[in-house]
Amino acid sequence: MGKYIVRRCIQAIPVLFGITIVVYAILLAAPGGPTARFANNPRVTEADREKFKKAWGLDQPVPVQYCRWMGVCNPDNEGLAVFISDNGVPNFLPAAVGGGTNGILHGDFGISISTGQAVSTMIARAALPTAILAGTALVLWLLFAILIGSYSAIRRYSFFDQASTVFAYVGYAMPTFWLGIMLIFIFSGPGLNILPAGGMTETRLSPPFGSDAYWTYFGGHPVQAILDIGKHLILPVITLVVVNIAGDSRFIRASMLESLSQDYVRTARAKGLRNRVVWFKHAFRNAMLPFVTNVGLEIPFLFAGAIVTETIFSWPGMGRLTIDATRDFDYPLLMGVLLITAVIVVFANLLADIAYAVVDPRIKY
Amino acid sequence: MAHEAKSLSTPTGSAPIDVEADAIQAIGMGIAQPDDATALRREEAGADYEVALESLNQWQLAWRKFRHHRLALMGLGILASFFIIALVGPIVWPFDFNTIPQPDVIVYQGRPPSLVHPFGETGGLQRDVLNLVINGARTSLFIGFSSMALGVLIGTIVGSLAGFIGGVLDNVLMRTVDVFLSIPLLFLILVASRFFGNGNVMLIVMIFAFFSWMGIARLVRSLFLSIREREFVEAARAVGVRDRRIIFRHILPNAISPIVVSASLIVAANIISEAFVSFLGFGVNPIYPTWGNILSNALTFIPLGNWWWPFFPGLMIILTVLAVNFVGDGLRDALDPRTRA
Repeated sequence: MGKYIVRRCIQAIPVLFGITIVVYAILLAAPGGPTARFANNPRVTEADREKFKKAWGLDQPVPVQYCRWMGVCNPDNEGLAVFISDNGVPNFLPAAVGGGTNGILHGDFGISISTGQAVSTMIARAALPTAILAGTALVLWLLFAILIGSYSAIRRYSFFDQASTVFAYVGYAMPTFWLGIMLIFIFSGPGLNILPAGGMTETRLSPPFGSDAYWTYFGGHPVQAILDIGKHLILPVITLVVVNIAGDSRFIRASMLESLSQDYVRTARAKGLRNRVVWFKHAFRNAMLPFVTNVGLEIPFLFAGAIVTETIFSWPGMGRLTIDATRDFDYPLLMGVLLITAVIVVFANLLADIAYAVVDPRIKY
Repeated sequence: MAHEAKSLSTPTGSAPIDVEADAIQAIGMGIAQPDDATALRREEAGADYEVALESLNQWQLAWRKFRHHRLALMGLGILASFFIIALVGPIVWPFDFNTIPQPDVIVYQGRPPSLVHPFGETGGLQRDVLNLVINGARTSLFIGFSSMALGVLIGTIVGSLAGFIGGVLDNVLMRTVDVFLSIPLLFLILVASRFFGNGNVMLIVMIFAFFSWMGIARLVRSLFLSIREREFVEAARAVGVRDRRIIFRHILPNAISPIVVSASLIVAANIISEAFVSFLGFGVNPIYPTWGNILSNALTFIPLGNWWWPFFPGLMIILTVLAVNFVGDGLRDALDPRTRA
């Protein structure tokens, strides 16, 4: 088992490396490059552009730029010495043993072109709101998908089952952002106007989320602050959850139906066990096995859904950061966000594989 | 109708007899099967019934099964009517962004659906939402379907190469697919549309195609790996058939059904992604109506409560995606040789 986990982790390394290359190549191939942000600005001259390129190290050959970003090259040195850190050891080694401090290998994602802040700081600040949104959504999504899916399987062809089938088909075909817009129109429009249309906190009540002032406010009125965030969470979470529930309740229904038709379920019934015991002890636990992997594979969709939802509801998280970075051609920020997302996805897949190996006793390594 | 009997006494497999053709016939292709009509005739024909079999080819069999799938037929109907709307609509009732519909009446507020304007009118420029939706259908459907076609083409080529040639090439191509699939594709599509798209429809199609081939490539490769080992391919090889002919005549025809089914899923995904990318303002130039652009423009009018403005284009997206999914379901059942209608 331990061997298997180690092997899967080692297999993830080339994938992560490949991701950095793909991300870099796509951005590199874009016409105009990072100076495209000045394309429509008549006051930026060619000389300014050159100065900008030099300041951001964009005048270097592409492999050097990539190696600097990775942290293999030292931007302070020239020629062959680029691979050597200021302390005279190979630059890619950790800073603790004298290696360099630049590049993603050392946790340095560079500096955002549009804000001038460190990319890692910006990502760290946006991570908490996204974690709150995606985490709440994940819990509700799993809960409802499991409840709806297994209940429809137990009461197959009942009214509830038929209704959830229709819901699943429609929900699955529904674009997330459209659902979000319609919810805003219904609950925040001039008619009802009972829920906030966007944002994470009531700006008249509290300082912006994440600032130091906010946390002092949070310390002063914790209940009020949590209720406030909760109120702002309702619509985004519904938006994010409906599509996932639709798909997964079908998945669970199918796997539950399959396990209900297994021999061991018949055996359990033949023994005279009560329905509830058969359903939950025999059928349900086996039906959950394939779902464990499925959840891991669906994490990317949760993230993709989060960008959409955060945009509509102006939620100050990773999604918003991605959109802003894309709009402003903010290369370092975009690379950082894409890389972090990819890393999360790779690890979610890894966890799904490992979890499957843990929960399914038939799998031996 | 495809299922009607051609001749009462056609023997099974009237194709010319050669090793290759027989090999193809043996799998997947029509195995003669009597249907209800034949059964009736069989009774009439009395003792002759044993030869009263009709032969149906793969597609006739598939259509016969597809017809019994009510939702799939409905989906096909919806898709067909949307295609007609997308083709004819913009000619009959074109969208002209130079003309403001009611220049002498300044009403900022939109108007809800009425008999004259069944989908209502937008706020701001007071455009007819039905007109926008009809004109948007052409671009949205075009992007969804043509990017699918291009993506399936790329995916099939890559998958065939990886599966047939194998070795180092297979490894390189499949690891590339792995890497692409580890980044949420929506992020990549979004970034690529912003950086390369320029609001141009053809460029957007190419970007979408470029990010929709990976699943197909994986699928085609696995199909090639399994079909390559089957007896009829071995037989073809034994009689000296060249590689190209083996690929196009023996392997690909047997791989078509799974490809068609996953292609339908790609259409659905690409229509939604187009709407999303345009919605964020990185897709098709916002002055032209696409379903995503209409939604995007509606967003600033939330305080006026013009719900009909985003509602109808969204409804069109849902109906299209539902229809595509139903057709995909129907195709999966119809093209699966293990089920019989």
